[in-house]
Amino acid sequence: MFSKHVTSLSSAYFHDELATRESQRVAKHLLSCTPCRADFDDVKLGARFAEQLQIVSAPDSVWASVVDQLDNKRVTRMRLWFVKPLAIAAMIILLVAGGLLWLRSNSDPGGARWNVARLGGSPRIDSQNIGDRSKLGVGQWLETDATSRAQIDVATIGNVEIDPNSRVRLLETNSSEHRLELARGRLSAHILAPPKLFFVNTPSGVAEDLGCAYTLEVDESGNSILHVTLGWVSLQLIDRESSVPAGAACAMKRGVGPGTPYFEDASELFRVSLSKFDFADNQSDREAALASVLSEARPRDVMTLWYLLLRVSAADRAGVYDRMASLVTPPQDVTREGVLNLNAKMIDRWRAQLSIRSETIREKKSFWKKLWTETLGRIHGLAGKR
Amino acid sequence: MLDQIVATREQLPVKESTDSRTIAACQQGDREALRVLFEKYKDRVYSIALYSLSGDEMAAGDATQQVFLKLMTRIGQFRGDAEFATWLYRLVVNTCHDEHRKQRRFVALADSFLQTSAGGESPRASYARKELAGRVQTAVAELKPKLRWPILLKYVEGLSYEEIAQVLKCSKGTVASRLNRAHKALGRRLSHLKNEI
Repeated sequence: MFSKHVTSLSSAYFHDELATRESQRVAKHLLSCTPCRADFDDVKLGARFAEQLQIVSAPDSVWASVVDQLDNKRVTRMRLWFVKPLAIAAMIILLVAGGLLWLRSNSDPGGARWNVARLGGSPRIDSQNIGDRSKLGVGQWLETDATSRAQIDVATIGNVEIDPNSRVRLLETNSSEHRLELARGRLSAHILAPPKLFFVNTPSGVAEDLGCAYTLEVDESGNSILHVTLGWVSLQLIDRESSVPAGAACAMKRGVGPGTPYFEDASELFRVSLSKFDFADNQSDREAALASVLSEARPRDVMTLWYLLLRVSAADRAGVYDRMASLVTPPQDVTREGVLNLNAKMIDRWRAQLSIRSETIREKKSFWKKLWTETLGRIHGLAGKR
Repeated sequence: MLDQIVATREQLPVKESTDSRTIAACQQGDREALRVLFEKYKDRVYSIALYSLSGDEMAAGDATQQVFLKLMTRIGQFRGDAEFATWLYRLVVNTCHDEHRKQRRFVALADSFLQTSAGGESPRASYARKELAGRVQTAVAELKPKLRWPILLKYVEGLSYEEIAQVLKCSKGTVASRLNRAHKALGRRLSHLKNEI
């Protein structure tokens, strides 16, 4: 029976890294084997100590040093034997790249291209004036001046109107993703397709279409504002995301990402305070702004407050919850204590009650997206293109 | 507080796909994209470096800087066939090995580690917590490297056994065995503090 001892599996059992059957065998064995149980207790004690390890903040000076080294090309501690072959390789790459550029400038861009129609003035593609109609290839910029406007067909799923003083580039188009970059200016998108097919990159985040119509505007600083007129749009930057419903708007700030969505018929004080809460640097300004947001909130603005639950400090969360509960009755089984402790199920239940886009909806949309890309996309001759 | 941070992380939809776009931009030499990756990973990279370099803050800062410089110069080699985090932590492990060889500075372990902060507690509780954290970190720093790395990758980075195996280029069974030994060593060295946790 000695071979059945489980001491070698103690850590894996503790971390739930064993297959179900193996885990059950270990659990059963520990009940009856004193030496193995003592060994497991030793491992557990060590693990509890290891859990005390904390993440330490890196000093601010590190980034400055990285930038300094990159700028001065003083990537230290690297041997220089590779410089000569690297120079030869760079020459070859330059020659090849030059050849490719020459070929590109003397021929039409390959791959899928989108139809562009002139709506007014003299829109340009890669600095060339277009006539009434033209094509936009991947990597090409479409620019409008103060008097020109254009309309782009987004493959076969909708269109985008480009307002004056805008600069837009086509980044990608295939059966599973169509992506534009809006460097500045304003566009209005009308998309009739499953969610998550059409994206717009901006300097402050990415707008992901969830089947909708919207306008997106980017100012000279790279900050942007989204207004949704139909359906939903998701704004994202790294791990920060805001889903914005029809009738609502949401700002994004360069380097920060999306703020908190709000309905556009909210009071001016509510909107201004929310913007301060999202983007002000000063903590006391943010606290004052939060107080104004809460006092100005109407029942319809509980959608905004739901996002704030996750974005305020633990100390402020109670105030947000109490205001929400005073405006709309929380769903059954959702308790104050649970929400203040960020109980995932309770917060999700409340989100579902408020009709904020949920994972369930997301899954359903994934099904429609799959259907689209595998069947309808194929009919349009797009399936399989990557 | 930590519970709240973890809970908040679970609530917010994490978009891993954003990483791939950021990485692609980084491969094009985009400095802003590097900044995004830096902000996301700097504290974890620094923590790992600090714990593996015996609490030497200066060496840990140097190692963190080297990791992100290497990231920028080698990101072209990242093909996406492994998780980016796994690739990055492999860079961290190698850089810390190099740094360890060069390390000449001596820093009193406990003094350095005891500076770990913990907010929102009474001074007495805060002191006790800092002292415990300092003792644990010292005990971890004293483990042999082959036992220390699985502990750091598990508890600082939260990697699975499979991911740790990929970073350390060993089998999952080896990871389990080393963690077993490391846990027992920590338990033995710190057993006098068991009532503190």
